[in-house]
Amino acid sequence: MGCMPEVYNSHTKPKKSIIKEQKVREKRLDAILSDKSLEFKKKSKNPLTAFGYFPRKADFETKDKEEHVILLLRKHPITNARWIIASLILIMLPTVILFLPTINAIPERFMVVGILGWYMFILAYIIENFLSWFFNVNIITDERIVDIDFHNLVYKEISDAKLDRIQDVTLQMGGAIRLFFNFGDVIVQTAAETPNIDFHAIPNPDKVVKILQDLLLEEEQEKLDGRVR
Amino acid sequence: MNMDVISQEILWTALKWGMTLALLLYIGFALVVLRQVTMMTDTLDVGFEKPVRFLAYVHLLFAIITFLSAFLLL
Repeated sequence: MGCMPEVYNSHTKPKKSIIKEQKVREKRLDAILSDKSLEFKKKSKNPLTAFGYFPRKADFETKDKEEHVILLLRKHPITNARWIIASLILIMLPTVILFLPTINAIPERFMVVGILGWYMFILAYIIENFLSWFFNVNIITDERIVDIDFHNLVYKEISDAKLDRIQDVTLQMGGAIRLFFNFGDVIVQTAAETPNIDFHAIPNPDKVVKILQDLLLEEEQEKLDGRVR
Repeated sequence: MNMDVISQEILWTALKWGMTLALLLYIGFALVVLRQVTMMTDTLDVGFEKPVRFLAYVHLLFAIITFLSAFLLL
């Protein structure tokens, strides 16, 4: 009887110690990213953010239990402006059409169904664009970088590269809108199976590069210290 | 004159069944969207899954209502 709790303890870690362990690791990672100019050092709580620094909740399909998400990146919100404006115009279009004189030739019942169908189409358009923005993310963890892409309704692609496989990081930023809103592309060349992992139109690309550089240095240090997982 | 009325009637009937069929097919598309959302939320979990799923269900409900209204009104 006395052995039972011991056997139980050897397989399940107490929850408190796991949380403590995670906090210690998070603090260590936070210390690595030591640039005092990083104004975003506040932990991100907003699930809709395009720049999630240590997001409160971020799990993905291939994540290891011990892996920590440092950055969760989406395209800058301003990249959604085009479809939002298009949606607003499409929403208002039936009210304009109703004033056309030729509209009287259409029976009323067809008009009702037509308008319902029209708004359903707009809803689908909005949902598709939102889902595309929300779920196409780039993730930087303390172990690797991950690119999750959903290309259409049923096709998804998850590519990743371990930090120690990163060879080169390029920042691309150009154009008035990108400069004004401070977003751009970060292209990561790797020695992994996927040669390039591209972070498209992400906010604060310079800070992302800085974080990547810090993590690469830490990875090298881990190798030297023999702390590699 | 009579021919015009008949051809108009044929046009509206064809339009009615065309619209009804298109809306029926659209319900299939709404189901695919729902499946897609489930796949996406399984892949990435950031704590905003319920509103996204709710949106997909609203879309499916909208598609069913539009189909039924086409079937009953036209």
